[in-house]
Amino acid sequence: MCKIVRLPLIIFLITLATGCTKSTLVALAPDPDGNIGRISVGNEAGSVAIDSAYQATTITGAKEQPTAPEQLSKEALDKMFAQALSIEPERPQHFLLYFEKDTTLTPESLLLLPRIIAAIHERTSEYISVIGHTDTLGTRDYNMSLSLSRALAVKEMLVRQGVASNTIQTTSHGKENPLIATADNVFEPRNRRVEVVVR
Amino acid sequence: MKPTITVIPVAVLLMAVSLAHGAATNQIGIVKTMVGEVVIARSGGTIRAAPNLKLYEGDIVRTGANGKAGLILEDDTVISLGTNGRFAIESFRFEPSEKKLSLVARIFQGTVSFICGQIAKLAPNRVHIKTPYATVGVRGTHVLVRVD
Repeated sequence: MCKIVRLPLIIFLITLATGCTKSTLVALAPDPDGNIGRISVGNEAGSVAIDSAYQATTITGAKEQPTAPEQLSKEALDKMFAQALSIEPERPQHFLLYFEKDTTLTPESLLLLPRIIAAIHERTSEYISVIGHTDTLGTRDYNMSLSLSRALAVKEMLVRQGVASNTIQTTSHGKENPLIATADNVFEPRNRRVEVVVR
Repeated sequence: MKPTITVIPVAVLLMAVSLAHGAATNQIGIVKTMVGEVVIARSGGTIRAAPNLKLYEGDIVRTGANGKAGLILEDDTVISLGTNGRFAIESFRFEPSEKKLSLVARIFQGTVSFICGQIAKLAPNRVHIKTPYATVGVRGTHVLVRVD
């Protein structure tokens, strides 16, 4: 082989050899409350499921089957993901507010307002949601309208306390995100709430 | 005649209520924490990230050799990125009252910690993380992904 061709050929072969060592690792860990969920990792060659803490699968190609779950240690994963974990933000804080009737807060919920304001300042939060929720009793129109007007009322209370209006989003989840799961058409006052989420 | 007189005020009231709450909510999250070089690729341009920067569907977050970033999404999902990372939110729907729930993220490279939020709780089959070699279906709760 002539000299001009040999060097590029060597470089090409090295690249080919080292290029094949790329891989992807997927592991499952407990959440901050210690709960373990479940993941499935799959491609056209197959898939594996993981539902135990600190187990991982590795995939070395789009057509390579994910490896059977391997038990790793918390320490090993903490080390592997140290950079990402070091920048992890604090989880959003949720406050639950309840009403006597219309848009009047209960005395207990009124006491939460200064704590919400304090959390907003502590976190220098510019991303706050105020979300109305209902139970499964009553018509959708009535529930959406009441929960939304309650959310707007809470937003107004926060704005009057100095929180910038454009940092607060309001919406209603209706009956679709209950605190307590119930059947349809069930009166459940714990679900009839406004949640304030401070991020 | 009576129905017409009562319909108009109600319609105006409903419109006022919906306009009041509907303002500018294409936002899906924020960059909450960061160090070093972090940029967002969006609509053909790039933006230097800063704490509290708003995130939108389709955004690609890139961290440099010394960059790290922590993101919070509207449904409480918390995503942390290590250095030399590239990560995108391809689709995000968090509208429980309309039964529209989904979260699809893509990791091009880097190390990512992904803590599930309310979308995974309400619709555990609608959260996916795509990587170059495989897709992760996430029913909960805390996923760690390293793409070399």
